Amino acid sequence: MLGRLALTMTLAATLAACGDSNGGARTQITAVGSSTVYPFTTRVAEAFRNQDSNRDAPVIESTGTGGGMARFCDGVGSEYPDIVDASRRIKKSEYQKCEANGALPILEIQIGMDGVALAESLQGPSFELTKKDIYLALAAHPMGKDTNSAQTWRDVNPALPAIPIQVYGPPSTSGTRDAFAELIMEPGCTEAFPQVEERSSDDKKMVCMQLRSDGPYIDAGENDNLIVQKLTANPNAVGIFGYSYLEENHDRLRGIPIEGVSPTYETIAGGSYPGARPLFIYVKAKHLNAVPGLKEFLRLYSTMWGPDGDLVKRGLIAAPQDVRDHAVEIIQQQIPLDATTLD
Amino acid sequence: MSDPLMPELPSAGGGTIAPRQPTDWTTDAMRQRIRKRYARERRFRRLGLVAVVMSAAFLAFLLVTMASQGLGGFFRTEVALPIDFPQTGIEVDKAALDQPGADLALAGAGLENIVGSAAIAAFGDYGPNVISDNAWLTVREAIKHDPSILDGRAVIHVPASAEIDRAISETGTPEAEAAVTKLQAENAITEGFNWRFLSASDSTDPTQVGIWGALKGSFFTMLVTFLIAFPVGVLAAIYLEEYAPKNRWTDLVEVSINNLAAVPSIIFGLLGLAVFLGTWTLFGHKVGPLLPRSAALVGGLTLALMIMPVIVIASRNAIKAVPPSIRDAALGIGASKVQVVFHHVLPLALPGILTGTIIGMARALGETAPLLLVGMRAFIATPPDSLTDKATVLPVQIFLWSDEVSRGFVEKTSAAIIVLLVFLLAMNAVAIYLRNKFETRW
Repeated sequence: MLGRLALTMTLAATLAACGDSNGGARTQITAVGSSTVYPFTTRVAEAFRNQDSNRDAPVIESTGTGGGMARFCDGVGSEYPDIVDASRRIKKSEYQKCEANGALPILEIQIGMDGVALAESLQGPSFELTKKDIYLALAAHPMGKDTNSAQTWRDVNPALPAIPIQVYGPPSTSGTRDAFAELIMEPGCTEAFPQVEERSSDDKKMVCMQLRSDGPYIDAGENDNLIVQKLTANPNAVGIFGYSYLEENHDRLRGIPIEGVSPTYETIAGGSYPGARPLFIYVKAKHLNAVPGLKEFLRLYSTMWGPDGDLVKRGLIAAPQDVRDHAVEIIQQQIPLDATTLD
Repeated sequence: MSDPLMPELPSAGGGTIAPRQPTDWTTDAMRQRIRKRYARERRFRRLGLVAVVMSAAFLAFLLVTMASQGLGGFFRTEVALPIDFPQTGIEVDKAALDQPGADLALAGAGLENIVGSAAIAAFGDYGPNVISDNAWLTVREAIKHDPSILDGRAVIHVPASAEIDRAISETGTPEAEAAVTKLQAENAITEGFNWRFLSASDSTDPTQVGIWGALKGSFFTMLVTFLIAFPVGVLAAIYLEEYAPKNRWTDLVEVSINNLAAVPSIIFGLLGLAVFLGTWTLFGHKVGPLLPRSAALVGGLTLALMIMPVIVIASRNAIKAVPPSIRDAALGIGASKVQVVFHHVLPLALPGILTGTIIGMARALGETAPLLLVGMRAFIATPPDSLTDKATVLPVQIFLWSDEVSRGFVEKTSAAIIVLLVFLLAMNAVAIYLRNKFETRW
């Protein structure tokens, strides 16, 4: 009896394993990518399904911008995602990968803005930093030196308190980290060390954008809530994350002003805060007709990203009117991304 | 030969043994030695007690924090929202409300804004913050259920927002606290068991989330894991114990299995990713991926790879523990090898095999890392209906919620942990029942 049972079970399992293959068309929208854009795309996905519960709910995976791009550009077809959430623009190398795998053309849609906010606990020492301070404190090779010897903020700038440098931030796969390096580290670098402009671009990247790995910069993973918790537990630490997390935790955290400008909705939308960055989704044009509901999904997205839209309530910063109009035009006329504008 | 039970002392012809002096227990040296012995005894007992108390304290701490934080997640606050439908000017064809397009029709008629305005009319400017963002879905269900409410004024109980929920259970923002006091005065707030939490799936709104999707995903995943790992693991163990010759090769297999059981789970995730989801180019053709990403099937297979060695080791030990006399007796009356194994050895070894399987399955149920790699970490708003549907599992759902921006997710995360623990206990209870049922003593 037991023998027959075992045999049947094995057979059943083998059948289950072989019976399903994913050759057929997919009925739900799939998106991958940035953990910063994830809450907005999931919100739209939910609204999309709430409109009509007969629709298949979109499936959204948070992998970080880099990981998402890699899968997005792997190919075209039902096993590859339709949309990639990105907290930075697509890179030329990623675009070329898409090209090689036949995933072009793609639409580039800016959904809004986000700020890379630096924040501390409300019990913290009320930091006021400049891009230069941040660069000198966190670069792996400040001013082209081999190592970074700064241990306290005072080592960086005598006006700052003698508190050990402890910065919790996202890992290297994160678009937030790329944006941080680009928006704050690089300008700080050229300000502190103007001679860097004479160096080769690879060398400049190493000197300006590489973060130190000897302790003061602590890679806290893609989980931004974890950074928030660590800051509450450790008032002397500084955290780097998307602005939406700062907004949600205003009763526990305070944004650190950079060059005297605090991260707020107004300063980021107006562009005066240095850590402001655009958020994108990229969509494969070839999937627009193949995946049911994808066009409606994008249309719905565009109705939700306005200044009084639902996404703004969840921490998105609405893009200026002309940017939004342009994005709507891209969706309606399916204008592909022009590769010559990439760097 | 006076007493036959007393063996005679050997009377060797050699020297006689000197009569032994009785131990003098009263000397100081002896007393000290005895004291030391007793002290060591007491010390050891206390250390053991401390170890038990410590583990119990950690467990109690975990359970108490989870229960105190998570219980709130099972309850929800509802607000009685009066809506005067004729006044809102909603235009819906009532005949269409039985049709499949009813959802879209009501959404298109601007129901969301109507509910928002009704909240302002009822509770003032703070109104839209009192009700959940998705409160209009409850209203829509109510209309679909009974279209006649569109003709007049209706009071519908809609879920309160996460802020109101928080203002009631702990301390919220001053505005929310004020709104709660006002609502309580009007008797507009009711607290009830949140059935939605047990029947819905993931959502971006903490008042709307449910655990059912993840629970179903966990169930499917465990089913696949069990169906693969149990038969394959037990068959491997039977072969190794009953059939395989003992030589260098079987030793190598044994060492490999023991090593596999200790390999970190993330490695199995990478293995699953490469085997089930990888693509290869064979003779110019692109092959793969073999299985759909994010599906319970691929997660279950990955976990099956992970727990198979555990099951093999436990099953081998259980089979080894069956007395050889039982095998010999069966063979002696003419049973074939297969009959010996399936009629005698396996039923006797089953309790031990089941114990090993429980340990393996419990490990698989709580596993997150390998599933993240095969894509079971997605936002999925509908429960899976088959093994190939995109799904997520309980531990991953907990991980995802812990990363949510909205503060309302904190208690939902703890509530999900409670559900996971209950699932685990239920699974173990079934296995223990089966084990006791099959247990034989000899």
